[in-house]
Amino acid sequence: MQKEAMFRKHSPQDVPVQSRLNKERSAVLPYVLISPLILFIGALALYPTVRTFVESFFGVDPLNPQGFVGLQNYVSVFNNPAVIYSWVNTFLYMAFGTGLSTLVAVLVALGLRVNFRGRAVVLAILILPWALPAITEGIIWAWIYDPSFGVLNSILHSLHLISHYQLWISGNRILTVFLIELVQVWQMTPLSIILILAGLQSIPDELYEAARVDGAGLLRTTFTISLPLVRPSIAVAVVQSLVASLNVFDQVYVLNANATTGSSIMLQTYNITFQNLNFGEGYALSFIAVLITMAIALGLLKITYRRVEF
Amino acid sequence: MRKVKVVLALSLVSLSLTGCGSYVAAGKPNAADAAHRSAKPYAGQTITVLFPYNAPPRKLLAQFTAQTGIKVNWTVLGFAATWAKIVSASSANTYFADLTDVDWSRVGQYYRTKWFIPLNKYFNVKSLRSDVPQLNDFMVNGQLVGMPIDASLMLTTVNVKDFARAGITRLPTTIAQYTTDLRTLQRKGIHAHPLGISFAAQEGLSTYWYEVTGAFGGSIFGPGYKPLFTSPSSAGYRAMQWMVNAYKSGLVPTSDINMVDYQVQQSQMALHRISSVMSDYSGNVGTLYNVPSQSKVVGQIKYIPTPGIKGIGPNLGNPDGMGIPVTAKHPGAAAVFLKWFTSPQMQADFSGLHGPADEILNFPLPMRLSSMNMLQKANKVTQVNEMIMLFRQHSRPVFPNGGPPPWYPQFSNAVYTNIHSAALGQESVAQAIQAISNTVNQLNH
Repeated sequence: MQKEAMFRKHSPQDVPVQSRLNKERSAVLPYVLISPLILFIGALALYPTVRTFVESFFGVDPLNPQGFVGLQNYVSVFNNPAVIYSWVNTFLYMAFGTGLSTLVAVLVALGLRVNFRGRAVVLAILILPWALPAITEGIIWAWIYDPSFGVLNSILHSLHLISHYQLWISGNRILTVFLIELVQVWQMTPLSIILILAGLQSIPDELYEAARVDGAGLLRTTFTISLPLVRPSIAVAVVQSLVASLNVFDQVYVLNANATTGSSIMLQTYNITFQNLNFGEGYALSFIAVLITMAIALGLLKITYRRVEF
Repeated sequence: MRKVKVVLALSLVSLSLTGCGSYVAAGKPNAADAAHRSAKPYAGQTITVLFPYNAPPRKLLAQFTAQTGIKVNWTVLGFAATWAKIVSASSANTYFADLTDVDWSRVGQYYRTKWFIPLNKYFNVKSLRSDVPQLNDFMVNGQLVGMPIDASLMLTTVNVKDFARAGITRLPTTIAQYTTDLRTLQRKGIHAHPLGISFAAQEGLSTYWYEVTGAFGGSIFGPGYKPLFTSPSSAGYRAMQWMVNAYKSGLVPTSDINMVDYQVQQSQMALHRISSVMSDYSGNVGTLYNVPSQSKVVGQIKYIPTPGIKGIGPNLGNPDGMGIPVTAKHPGAAAVFLKWFTSPQMQADFSGLHGPADEILNFPLPMRLSSMNMLQKANKVTQVNEMIMLFRQHSRPVFPNGGPPPWYPQFSNAVYTNIHSAALGQESVAQAIQAISNTVNQLNH
């Protein structure tokens, strides 16, 4: 009986059954492994997005409750000049932030790819701005930009680049947006540097050695090896900068309060939702922001991302 | 032997009685226990107080717990964050705190949204009226939406040493004299920009305008929230013109354009970069300007009656309050704590009646006249007599024709964004006034 059982266990007819079972297991395993993530994203991102979309068609306002209002909330936000002004500012934040942050991150990451003494210390210092809360950074930079005794005025004045102290924030729209975004760039660039540096370090050294043997210089290897092969990492860095700059809030609030000059779309959403208690319009604006973020992110991914295999 | 038997019998009787006693204690409450429980009906409950300001000293909170058996978990959160929490949790009908901030400016909104339990059932409004002058700021249609917890009001502060150095011997009592004195300070080189005005687009700028409007002899709204500031001869219009001119002409430091109220007080007035704040907060002299670790002007700052258009102007109320959200888990215990917090003795203690150990940091002034009397008698708090005199004689609500409207935050937003833009020259005062007036008309319909 025992022999029979043993024989059966190793029966050639049973091998396909075993392999089918293994195949089924290995087919299910990935889903099991990613299920916590799916649950997490579903609960914290998908469900709220769907709910926001549904609620955006209702007059959710504790001061003036209404039922289904169709597209009225969307019409209202598009007819609100303050919202339109904030959208333009937000696109400027995005353009400055994503462009500058990615450019600086690529340059610094290329520099850090090379091993040098004190590299670890430089990396640790670079991470600091990323670790600081945005409010703290806003306060630090408010002192830097201060028109009466700020460091920026002091430096420029001592270099004779300005004749008298300037008002940097609030006076001019473009300058205000650029300087506020500079604070965000200072905060989010370290993450982009780390992402791009990780990509650069995964490029095999043999490729660089081969290029060197062929007589390629630093510039040539950068443009023909480093940059093309690090594109997936750059794409991720671009998307994270894009999302951060489209959602800029803390820095605007600390440096420019509720003034229209630097107002961002997130600040408008906050005011409409939490100050005016008009949740319906707040939902509509949030949903539009989600759609625009996704559309731009997908567009940028299409431009920057390339599948790379070594 | 007989004696021994008697002792044994007595011991048995006493033992059995003790046993009975224990049985009663474990099973049915005796009279003493019932009294104890009725004295501490909420013993064992822990309440969460979510508030943007500092907690009372631990010693006093421990005393409250010993008296009532209620534990207090006081969480400090910024004003904007507290507001966001109230809005999000209340609209989702979820618990977030048993007691939280009810700012005077939100009373109209909270009355309409019904997010707070009316406090009439916990407090006798009729008897409180005579002792709590700012109670009306928290009432809508007879309903007490929140309970004032201090008597904050806007006061003018001046650096008397600076004024004396500039040769000014009589402190200003009119707005014209005040403006001339500020120019003298500037001319004599005491400060290039002697006046502090928070021009950041925030609530502090709106309240500054209300106070200056009061000084110019008017109000913001008439009955039915009709704007009273649209005519160029109105107090509101002239007040805004005065503030904008002060900024443009250099009386106010350039950096004030992005500074909120407390930054002007902490980093300019306290650090001796300016000589006066026309709309300062009550209590700042004792809790900020006279604190050596935070100030370079110890002993130099004085509250003065608000310089008005024809003599002394009013001091507008800016009181903070607390309320019990409808989602509170322990409303009864929260009410007990609120009664304790607003009792005459505690209000006086928080203001420093028994010295700094019992003080709440930055506590402006007690909300009860009876507590103010205690402070006056003890005469221990810096310039308390001046503050109380101003409170008793010149205090007035911001909106005397009814509390703040339910759309107050939108109105205030229009006020501060437009004054900020006018100061920068991005629009004229006339345009700013027009924009604010349009907002009111829109909201009023």
